[in-house]
Amino acid sequence: MPMNSLIDVGLSHYLALSAALFAIGMLGVLMRRNVIVMMMSIELMLNAVNLTFIAFSRFRDNMDGQAMVFFVMTIAAAEAAVGLALAVTIFKRFREVNIRYFEHLKG
Amino acid sequence: MNHALGISSYLIAAPMLALLAASLVPVMLKVFSGNREPHPFVTTAYGFIAVASALGLAITFLGGSKFGFHKALVSDGLALWASIIVLVSGAFSIFMMHDHVETQSKLFSEKVFLLLGSLIGMLIVVLSNDLIVTFLGIETMSLCLYVLIAMSRETVLSKEAAFKYFVLGSFASAIFLYGIALIYGTAGTTQFPGLMEQVGPLLESRNHLFLIGIIFVVLGFAFKVSVFPFHFWTPDVYQGAPTPVTAFMATAVKAATFVAILRLFQSTGYQHSVPLKEVISWLAALTMLVGNAAAIMQPNFKRMLAYSSVAHSGYLMVGVVAAGFGDSQGVASAAGIVVLFYLLAYSIMTLGSFAFVALLEKSVGQALQVDDVRGLGRTHPVLAGCMAIVLFSLAGVPPLLGFFGKFGLFSLAIEQNFYWLAIWGVLNSVVSVYYYLRPIVLMYMQGDDAPHVEMNKQIMTRFTLFGSAILIIVMGLFSSPILSALKSAILGRS
Repeated sequence: MPMNSLIDVGLSHYLALSAALFAIGMLGVLMRRNVIVMMMSIELMLNAVNLTFIAFSRFRDNMDGQAMVFFVMTIAAAEAAVGLALAVTIFKRFREVNIRYFEHLKG
Repeated sequence: MNHALGISSYLIAAPMLALLAASLVPVMLKVFSGNREPHPFVTTAYGFIAVASALGLAITFLGGSKFGFHKALVSDGLALWASIIVLVSGAFSIFMMHDHVETQSKLFSEKVFLLLGSLIGMLIVVLSNDLIVTFLGIETMSLCLYVLIAMSRETVLSKEAAFKYFVLGSFASAIFLYGIALIYGTAGTTQFPGLMEQVGPLLESRNHLFLIGIIFVVLGFAFKVSVFPFHFWTPDVYQGAPTPVTAFMATAVKAATFVAILRLFQSTGYQHSVPLKEVISWLAALTMLVGNAAAIMQPNFKRMLAYSSVAHSGYLMVGVVAAGFGDSQGVASAAGIVVLFYLLAYSIMTLGSFAFVALLEKSVGQALQVDDVRGLGRTHPVLAGCMAIVLFSLAGVPPLLGFFGKFGLFSLAIEQNFYWLAIWGVLNSVVSVYYYLRPIVLMYMQGDDAPHVEMNKQIMTRFTLFGSAILIIVMGLFSSPILSALKSAILGRS
């Protein structure tokens, strides 16, 4: 029945969703020039990975994936803390949170 | 199932626990003395004691073939020797930080704390037996480094460098993590021994998710060791970071991460995937080319050394290709021996060359040019002599240490029938001779009218430069005992 592929949500649906989220995050890092938006995009990528871990864990009856998500969440929090601290120092120095003013290191 | 952890687990983790405990001492001292910065020499001494005790514990308890924490950590010859390289680089970096104008400041004890924290992360990476533990180690190491770079006294360059490194580093970590998730989903485990058994069947059955997972993990590693598609940050960050921190990043980070890459490629199953072999061989070849070609044209001394470190990553990747795709029995162990020896040689040479840069940098934020060394052979003969030895060794002139490192890598590649990679590597090291010899020519054959520059005292940095020059000669002459020690340590595990 054609409807089944829409009603029965399987592993591949979760994987496709997380791949799409990951790709959106990746594009955000590569294309946006605002420091804060770039950090948000990185968070999006990490959460896409979490979704992948959870989906695999659920569909393969293997609890390791759920434990890994806790590690990833911890690391994401630590990364956000360091990143925001850096953003503050950059704002103090450049009076702007935009990387188009980064022009001192070239060559 | 018994969930209790034996004492052996804690013995394997002892170097890290010692570093963690000792790294708190300098900051605690500062807090309890009313936020007054202790004398920098005291902080340096604490840092050195921390690293030395960790080194002692590592030599005592690591080695053999032991697992700890339910096989999350492994202690073998590879881990032992990599810990030694990482800890020695850390010790010399602390010495250089004590002297350097950009790192000695009110926040010196915090910087030593961050460097020791980064060392803990590196030890986790080299001891890790599980991809997710490797990820945790890499993040611990990198998060400390981001802050360490940003805390330099110099304002504009280091902030910019720190943020570039942070964004690209987190980006690469996310890709690395996605790779781990795909590997976990397809292989069902992230522990290296179980994973290595799965590699062959999964690649043979053309499991694309698994292949993508492996490629993502390799790309994540490629960022940390500045291999070709992810090398763009290297010159910027190496230039913007304070020179002692640059020396630390160029040696210890690279050593730790290459050990993790070797652990990933310890299976003969990779031969089932021709595309993977092609991709990684081309990464190695292009990394060598890009690094050497850019270094030739570089007038800035630190950027030149940064590109040269990219090129050295390319040479090391030849060892990784041989480990993963060579077809003889035990090739992974043989590759482990030569890659570790090369990492040892490379760390000593790089510490020496950055110590030389640190000695010449007089003011904050000064960009040292290659031309600035003109006439140094006349005005500072001992320094120039030591630097000449370091540069000859980087270029791979026998009988210095760098020659034996390259010889080992390229002869392994030929044994495993990677003729074109070996020839390409030799051609590239011939090209690299040009930019390594340029400072020597400038030091000795030009600048007869150069004024006598007064140098800062920087006794510990001088010691680092002299030490590395002496080690290059001595270890070059006695390279066979070192190689046999490495061999017995690594082969003893299986």
